[in-house]
Amino acid sequence: MVDKINNLKFKTKNVSVFYGSKQAINKISLDIEEKQITALIGPSGCGKSTFLRCLNRMNDVISNCSVNGKILLDGNNIYSDEIDPVLLRAKVGMVFQKPNPFPKSIFENIAYGPRIHGIGNNRAELTDLVHHSLEQAGLIDEVKDRLDDIATGLSGGQQQRICIARAIAVNPDVILMDEPCSALDPIATAKIEELMSSLSKSYTIIIVTHSMQQAGRVSQKTAFFHMGDLIEYGETPKIFTQPDQQKTQDYITGRFG
Amino acid sequence: MIDKNIDQLKRLKLRKNAEMRLKVYGILSISLALIMLSTLMISIGLSGYSALQQAYVKLEINVDSKKVLDEKGGFSNQKALLVNWDGIVSNSFITNFPEITKRSEKRSLRALMSSNAGYELRQYFQKNPDDLDENITIWLSASDDFDQYMKGRFNTSVDEKDRRLSNQQLKWIDFLAMEKISKLKFNTSFFVNADSREPESAGILGAVVGSTLTLTITILFALPLAVMASVYLEYFAKPGRLTDFIEVNINNLAAIPSIVFGLLGLSVFLGFFGLPRSAPLVGGLCLGLMTIPTIIIASRASIRAVPPSIKDAALALGASRMQAALHHVLPLAAPGILTGTIIGMAQALGETAPLLMIGMVAFIIETPDSFTSAATAMPVQIFMWSDSAERAFYERSSLAILFLVGFLIIMNSLAVFLRRKFEKKW
Ligand SMILES: Nc1ncnc2c1ncn2[C@@H]1O[C@H](COP(=O)(O)OP(=O)(O)OP(=O)(O)O)[C@@H](O)[C@H]1O
Ligand SMILES: [Mg+2]
Repeated sequence: MVDKINNLKFKTKNVSVFYGSKQAINKISLDIEEKQITALIGPSGCGKSTFLRCLNRMNDVISNCSVNGKILLDGNNIYSDEIDPVLLRAKVGMVFQKPNPFPKSIFENIAYGPRIHGIGNNRAELTDLVHHSLEQAGLIDEVKDRLDDIATGLSGGQQQRICIARAIAVNPDVILMDEPCSALDPIATAKIEELMSSLSKSYTIIIVTHSMQQAGRVSQKTAFFHMGDLIEYGETPKIFTQPDQQKTQDYITGRFG
Repeated sequence: MIDKNIDQLKRLKLRKNAEMRLKVYGILSISLALIMLSTLMISIGLSGYSALQQAYVKLEINVDSKKVLDEKGGFSNQKALLVNWDGIVSNSFITNFPEITKRSEKRSLRALMSSNAGYELRQYFQKNPDDLDENITIWLSASDDFDQYMKGRFNTSVDEKDRRLSNQQLKWIDFLAMEKISKLKFNTSFFVNADSREPESAGILGAVVGSTLTLTITILFALPLAVMASVYLEYFAKPGRLTDFIEVNINNLAAIPSIVFGLLGLSVFLGFFGLPRSAPLVGGLCLGLMTIPTIIIASRASIRAVPPSIKDAALALGASRMQAALHHVLPLAAPGILTGTIIGMAQALGETAPLLMIGMVAFIIETPDSFTSAATAMPVQIFMWSDSAERAFYERSSLAILFLVGFLIIMNSLAVFLRRKFEKKW
C-alpha cells in the first residue's frame, strides 16, 4: 500500500498494545507531521511510553508485548516483515528518561552508532561526525577538550545531551524522547528545550512529558492520552486554551492526574 | 528535644539490647571460625615447614673421565649406565668410618645414604663434565630416616628391633652431624622434582605443572562455553518451559557431586573418544564440565546486574541484540564473570575425586610436558603422599598442602583485585 502523504512522517492506525492479556493502549490513530515537535501528555500509566516505543519497535524487546494495528513511517508499515527493526531504529532514534550514556569515553559514545552502521569509515570522518553531532547538541564548547573522558562523569544535563548527540550521530529522521528532562534541573531543562527547538528544523521530534509548561513551550502539536485512549489531538495552543474534551480540560487544569 | 514517654523508652532499650546481642553473636561466630582456621593452618604449617630442609651428606669423590665420556669428549649416557654410581657413593661414604670392616655393618652404614644418591651424582656429572678427574666435594641426599632423625622427628623411644634405624646407625648419624659431614640444607629437590618412591627426592613440581596444564584446559573449555550459554539464556532464549527447565538443570548441575563428572569423563572421554588415561587434557575437560555451571550462574548474575538502560541505549541506536551484548553488556559484566571464573578455577584446583576416576592418581616420576602426557595434580599428590608409610612423606604432604592453599589464596585475591580494578560505576 502506498499512501505517501506530504508532510506526514508517521501515520498510526488503530494501534493497540497488549502486555500479555493486559491492554495498555487502545486503537490509537495519530498522524505525526514532519519536522515538527509533537508532545504526548497524560496521567501516569496511560500508555504514552508504550505508544512511543511502538514507533521504533523497542517493544519487540519486551517478551510478552504484542502490537496490533498499523504504523506507517513514510508510508511503509514498520511492522511488516520486510522491515528490519535494527535498520528502523537507525532511522528513528530514541532518548530515554534517565540519561544512559555508555560508561565509555564521550567520543566512543557518539561514535558507536555511526560505527555499527558503517558511517564514517576512517578516523578523520568519524572525528568530524562526532564534532558535528556535539555541535548540534550544543555541547561542543563544554566537552571539546575532554572527548576522551568517561561520559558518565558529566553532569546529568550534559549526559542527556550526550544521549541526544549520540542519537543524532546516526542521522535519523525522527527522534523519540521519553520524558528527557524529568531527571534534570530547570537550567539543564531549558538547555534541552532550546536544543529541541533548533533540532526540529531538521528532525521530527516526538516527546513524552509530564510538564504541561514544557509541552506548551516546545511543541506544535499535542496529544492527550487517558487510560490507553487518545482523547484529543490538535494544535498545542488550542489544546491548552480551549480543548474540546472535558477530560483534557480537567487534566490541564490539574483536576486529576 | 524530642519527648519520649516511658513506653517508648522501654521499647528503645529492648531494641538496643537485641541489637547488642546480635552483634556479640556475630563477633563470636567470626572469631570461632578464625580460630579454627588458624589452628588448622598452624598445625599444617608446623608439620610441613621442616620439609623445606633436607639432610645432605658431604662426600669427597673423584670419577675417572674415561668411564663416562665418549671419544669426542661428550657425556655418554650409554657409558654412564654401566657405571656403578651407588658404589662410588658408598665407598666414599664409608671412608668416614675407617674402623668398620664387617660386611653387615657396612651394609647398615650404606643404608644411611639415599638410594637416589648415585643418581644425583650421575646428574651432577652430566651437567658438569669438567669436574671429572677432579677431587670434588659434593652434598648428596641422606636417606629419609636419617633426615627425620636429624630433624628430631624420629621416635627413639620404641624398642630397637621395631625401629627403622638401629642404635648403631643413630650413633653414626650423631657422629656425622657433629663432624658437620651431614647437614640440614634447603630442600631444592622438593621444588624441582616430580614424585618419587624415595621421600628425599620427591618433589611437587610435577604436580604443579600437571595442575597448571589441567586448569589451562579447564578454563579454555569452560569459560567460552559458559559465557556463550549465559548470553544466550539472558538475551535470546524465549522465556518458557524449556528455558525454565534448562535453568533449573544448570542449578542442579552445580550441586552434583564432583565424582560423577569423573565417571562421565571415564565413560565419555576415555571410553568413547579414546583419549589417553591420566592426561591433563581429560582431567581438564572433566573439571571443565564441573566448573561450567558455576561460571554460568556467576555470569548470568553479573549480566543481569548491568542496567538494562545500557542495553536499551545500544538497541535504540540500531545495534542488534548480539552487538548490544558483545559491545556493551559483556564488557560491563566482565569483572563479575571473571570473579566467578576464578572461583570456579580455585574449586577445580582443589578437586581430587574426578581426577581419581580418570587415572590421574598414578605414580608419575616425570614432570609432564604436554597435555596428553601422564600427569597428576596437586591435591592428588597430597592424597598419595599422605597415604604413604614413610614419615618423611607426611611432612612433604603438609608442605604441599601449604603450597596448594597458597595457590588458592593467590587466585582468590586475584579475583578480588580484578573485581575492584574493573568495576565501573554508572
Ligand atoms: N513491560 C511491561 N509489562 C507489563 N505491563 C506494562 C509494561 N510496561 C508498561 N506496562 C503497563 O502498560 C500501561 C502503560 O504504561 P506506560 O509505561 O506506557 O505508561 P506511561 O504513560 O508512560 O506512564 P508514565 O507517565 O508513568 O511513564 C501501564 O498500565 C503499565 O502498567
Ligand atoms: Mg512512561
